[in-house]
Amino acid sequence: MAPASSMEKIKEFLNSQIYDDDKWAVNSKLLGAAGLFAGSILFMRNFGDLMAI
Amino acid sequence: MGSSVSHAAAPPPPPPAGLAVALPPKAEEKSEKKVDYLNLPCPVPFEEIQREALMSLKPELFEGLRFDFTKGLNQKFSLSHSVYMGSTEVPSPSSGTIKVPTAHYEFGANFLDPKLMLIGRVLTDGRLNARVKCDLTDNLTLKINAQLTNEPHFSQGMFNFDYKGKDFRAQYQMGNNAFYGANYIQSVTPHLSLGSEVFWLGHQRKSGIGFAARYNTDKMVATAQAASTGIVALCYVQKVSEKVSLASDFMYNHMTRDVTSSFGYDYILRQCRLRGKLDSNGCVAAFLEERLNMGVNFILSAEIDHRKKDYKFGFGMTVGE
Repeated sequence: MAPASSMEKIKEFLNSQIYDDDKWAVNSKLLGAAGLFAGSILFMRNFGDLMAI
Repeated sequence: MGSSVSHAAAPPPPPPAGLAVALPPKAEEKSEKKVDYLNLPCPVPFEEIQREALMSLKPELFEGLRFDFTKGLNQKFSLSHSVYMGSTEVPSPSSGTIKVPTAHYEFGANFLDPKLMLIGRVLTDGRLNARVKCDLTDNLTLKINAQLTNEPHFSQGMFNFDYKGKDFRAQYQMGNNAFYGANYIQSVTPHLSLGSEVFWLGHQRKSGIGFAARYNTDKMVATAQAASTGIVALCYVQKVSEKVSLASDFMYNHMTRDVTSSFGYDYILRQCRLRGKLDSNGCVAAFLEERLNMGVNFILSAEIDHRKKDYKFGFGMTVGE
């Protein structure tokens, strides 16, 4: 077998993380929390003045 | 009359060059100001690296009734009486946590001196908390924390030695259960400080190491912490104005696969302080401290966990400073 190229290794890794139920439960929480964190930082930096009194 | 005419014609006013000329060079001076790496500011203590975020995002939410009364006997000594009636969460093996109704009265005594601070609290359920903070020299501080309980093997004690250098801080900790820890934080630039900590648990033969970084300017503070126990914590605080700050934090625990992110606000107004937060676990909380009168504060606390359908509301009063 030819050695797996790095692109295939990445795809294999992503598939194993997405299609496995237990791992996806953890990964979806991780993505949600990271999205909330990054989104709130963007909101604070760009629109923080809207919340000022 | 030539002289009078020449006097009448007032000399031309000095050109308004004073102000106009002063401003641009000042701005240039500021941007060219070189960083003096030998005169960096002293960093915050390692355990307070996330203090702005903790102040905004972690108010003392409670469920039930809370009443605190602090009476100062003289400038240095004061007594405090606290009553609490409500539910506390107790971890249970079967279904996570269960709520246990508790009520206790707490008596406390505080002695506050510039060099020595003694705080003691004793509760009706048999617990005793004691804290000592003593400035041994200008740079060396000793802190002792002790919590004694009725139940055997649940008492804890900790000794901390803090050394404050010119642009660094170092701390050494010793606790019961053969716990030894040390941490060090150093200012690297006027805005950035880096630190690290190590600890050793004697009874379980476990050790760990952690690293932390803190970047702060006038308007924002960003910190990141990672430890070999599998914990990664990031936080960001934006000071929008003198009265308002917004904070956000992210915590990931690799061992328990637990991840939490929250976004909160902190409004510090003349008559009240309002803090609220929104969580990635579907939890919304708010905490209000309203100043009714000099020294009298009314407290409202609310925490709604939509996912677990857990609703906690509390109210209370604080009298005295």
